[in-house]
Amino acid sequence: MREWRLLALLALEIAVFSFTALNFFTVGNAAEVARLSGEVGLLALAQTCVIITGGIDLSAGSMMGLCAIVFGVLWHDAGLSIGLSILATLGLGALGGFFNAFLITRLRALPLIVTLGTLSLYRGMAEGITEGVRNFSGFPQSFLSFGQGFWFGFLPPQAILLGVAAVLFWLLLQRSVIGRGLSAIGYSPEGARYAGIPVRARLSLVYTLSGLTASVAAIVYVAHLGQAKSDAGTGYELMAITAAVLGGTSIFGGSGSIAGTLLGLLSIVLLQNGLRLSDKPAELAGVLTGVLLIAAIGMGQFSKLFKDERITDGIEMKNSQVAVLSTVIIAAALLVAGSNWWMVRSLVRESPRGTHKPVVALMPKAKGDPYFVSCRQGAEEAARELGVDLLWDGPTDLDPAKQNEVVEGWITRGVDTIAVSVENSEGISTVLRKARAKGIKVLTWDADAQADARDFFINQATQQGIGYALADEIARLLHGQGSFAVVTASLSAANQNEWMKHIKARLADKYPKIKLAAIRPSDGDRDRAFSETQTILRVYPDVKVIAAIAAPAVPGAAEAVKQSGRSDVKVTGLSLPNMCKPYVHAGIIESVVLWKTRDLGYLTVQAAKAMYDGVLRPGVTSIPAGRLGNVEVRGDNVMLGAPFFFTKQNIDQFDF
Amino acid sequence: MIQRYSREISTGVALLGLLAVLLFAAPSFFRPANLRELLIGNAALLIAAIGMTLVILTGHIDISIGSQFAIASVVMGLLAKEGASTAAAAAGGIAAAAVLGAMNGILVAGLGIPSIVVTLASMIALRNALRWATEGKWVQDLPATFQWAGLGQAGGEALILILTGTVFAAFAWASCNLQAIRLLYATGSSPEAARLAGIRPPRVFFFVFMGMGVLTGLAAALNTIRFSEVQGNAGIGLELQAIAAVVVGGASIAGGRATLPGTLLGVLLLATIGPALTFAGINAFWEKAIQGSIILAAVVMNARGKSAHA
Repeated sequence: MREWRLLALLALEIAVFSFTALNFFTVGNAAEVARLSGEVGLLALAQTCVIITGGIDLSAGSMMGLCAIVFGVLWHDAGLSIGLSILATLGLGALGGFFNAFLITRLRALPLIVTLGTLSLYRGMAEGITEGVRNFSGFPQSFLSFGQGFWFGFLPPQAILLGVAAVLFWLLLQRSVIGRGLSAIGYSPEGARYAGIPVRARLSLVYTLSGLTASVAAIVYVAHLGQAKSDAGTGYELMAITAAVLGGTSIFGGSGSIAGTLLGLLSIVLLQNGLRLSDKPAELAGVLTGVLLIAAIGMGQFSKLFKDERITDGIEMKNSQVAVLSTVIIAAALLVAGSNWWMVRSLVRESPRGTHKPVVALMPKAKGDPYFVSCRQGAEEAARELGVDLLWDGPTDLDPAKQNEVVEGWITRGVDTIAVSVENSEGISTVLRKARAKGIKVLTWDADAQADARDFFINQATQQGIGYALADEIARLLHGQGSFAVVTASLSAANQNEWMKHIKARLADKYPKIKLAAIRPSDGDRDRAFSETQTILRVYPDVKVIAAIAAPAVPGAAEAVKQSGRSDVKVTGLSLPNMCKPYVHAGIIESVVLWKTRDLGYLTVQAAKAMYDGVLRPGVTSIPAGRLGNVEVRGDNVMLGAPFFFTKQNIDQFDF
Repeated sequence: MIQRYSREISTGVALLGLLAVLLFAAPSFFRPANLRELLIGNAALLIAAIGMTLVILTGHIDISIGSQFAIASVVMGLLAKEGASTAAAAAGGIAAAAVLGAMNGILVAGLGIPSIVVTLASMIALRNALRWATEGKWVQDLPATFQWAGLGQAGGEALILILTGTVFAAFAWASCNLQAIRLLYATGSSPEAARLAGIRPPRVFFFVFMGMGVLTGLAAALNTIRFSEVQGNAGIGLELQAIAAVVVGGASIAGGRATLPGTLLGVLLLATIGPALTFAGINAFWEKAIQGSIILAAVVMNARGKSAHA
């Protein structure tokens, strides 16, 4: 029954978004949706099997991170071929899954808590191996094409892989004796044991499969983004579980189907994709996902209240019907999409340039970050002045895969200019090149992509400039000698690691008497930065300067120093003036280094419009930028100016 | 006695072991000022873990408390900015979290939807709704009396410790002596048997989830008054910390078995590991792996205790 409801939901989504979302109903978009569902889809299939036995695997996303790193290490450091590295990584995934299984079956510990432990353990191992900093890129093109290319001209390999995996899991779960056994275990492990089902062996099988699938997803992820980093797959397990549960898999075990999981996955992915193409905020997709989940499961419960018995017969029949129906719907959708695609393309070609408002699409690294919130204010100011339509969208948390997804959405939607603050240069450059090939002007701002993937970079200050400025400031506060500690964002944050590199280089070069006592993560959380700083002050009493290099970490560190009553310790770092004002006035924060973030957003939109008008083109040395006057263009960099020091004297002039 | 509380005892032994190592590796850990900071810093986690103990006791789980925590914090900040006293603002934050908890309760008790599904949905929906509403902005420029409820740092810290201690003691006492909490044990052990004994399990579930909301709100209040500004994305991962603390403290996820002293030990163990690694000079990069290993070690010890018992 659940499947019919989901099909109706899908039909509704497709119908609504075909009208409201630009270019939603096209082959290109269908291919992108399929590509983006690849990794989560794989995890969701395996998760379905696990949940049917009454278990859960929270460690799948972390396993992806560990596998991505080990794959990178084997290929890059150990010099194995891609094929061998993949094989070894798959072996590791199976082993990690088996370790879960071992703890669950031998110790009879509960899956939720075992995999909660391995969730930390696997992610922690990935961070430990790379020390947070290292990541691997430069994979051969033949490997990358598996994640980024098209087969037969339009089919992303992920779609085929997901299809094959779905068929295999369907055979296992719904067409084999083993699958029946898994359901039986879900209904009653004790009963299943008495019925002669080898419960331990079956459970070992599903958890090992889950680990193995996670390693396949990790390989796909690396091929898709072109980079192996320890944060691969963060939070994917929750999306996979959501898809499976929405698809009708009972969280208590016993019932569920592969078709349902695929439909559940598709409803979530289409919802996100459709809302993005309709220029609705990404948060709305999150809210609706939660509501859908409750509605779908709630309706099932509600109808059960009226029908005393569950229909247990006819499951087989129903599934084949659903399969046939799904195929028909997808085929019909593709047919319509095909004709639609041609129509839209011809329309786009005919629409004359200049009669519509230019559409500038701006992406931050993370939408909720106060730093980007203040950039947005400047961007909106410029958009009002220039009369352009501004789209503002991006990941809600740092997530390189999501950035690609949003750019793909914009390409499908057909915007005029795209400007991205890049989280993962390797990963996003492919899609940016694709955007350029389609005639979209591409800028990067705040953090750059590869040079050939964009036209210009809006340069607020070089990584080296920031690192050196911070190092000089630390040295000034320490009077040339002593020790300091760093509170960073997360251990794998790319910008922060780059700044750290330059800080260390500068100190080694110019200030040999200054010692770095410790680097602690804050995960972008003020409260965590606070407690980490408290510990630093206790453990290293000789630390006299705390350098916090993430916006929320600076007020957190300052509050810790304030509460400790240590007037000999100073805080400096990168942050926004508004959050730091009270501490700057109290003399705890000596200085905050940053550029004028509002101006950065402002300049980016100004440059985007200048490029659209043809004013900003290769060879020019300056462009007019509204209230900023003429701004220097150096090569393919539009320069905002040097980093700015906010101090007691000037901080009250700024409001962001 | 020893057999009955073998899980709590094994957690206590693990904690003592960790402290013994610290005694040699980093004696400065035991400075009173450090211990006080540690307790204050984890007061919110303990309060949330008390609520989680009750939820897990009834055989349910609540993974939405991190989102509730963030919403309660922001509500509290906004009220304070409108001129409410810290106490009134805290009451508002607690009320907001109570309403959210009650919503979970209605869905679990009324419609019989599994709690992990309900709270997974509300975790995602609430966090996104908050982001949508605030766009990540912090609540700033609060009145000077907001921080420490106007009592000054020493007074505020004492307030946090006393409140946390009182709440813990009250629940620990009630869990042994009060009919209302004994009902949770009965319901968690077997809802069907409880029903036959005249208990109405749906009502119990509803009140447990609402109580979880109230305690989450209180945790948010105790955390928020330590600062002069309210951040918009607090409490990410709080649910996992609380669940880990409860389970490490010897509770059974299947329901019917959990003790509050065990939860206290679990919170202390998890709260000690992070700073302990810094004190021992261990590189931050391996920290998450070590934390995971300690959770697994506790699981293994609990499981061994169980098989010896059975």
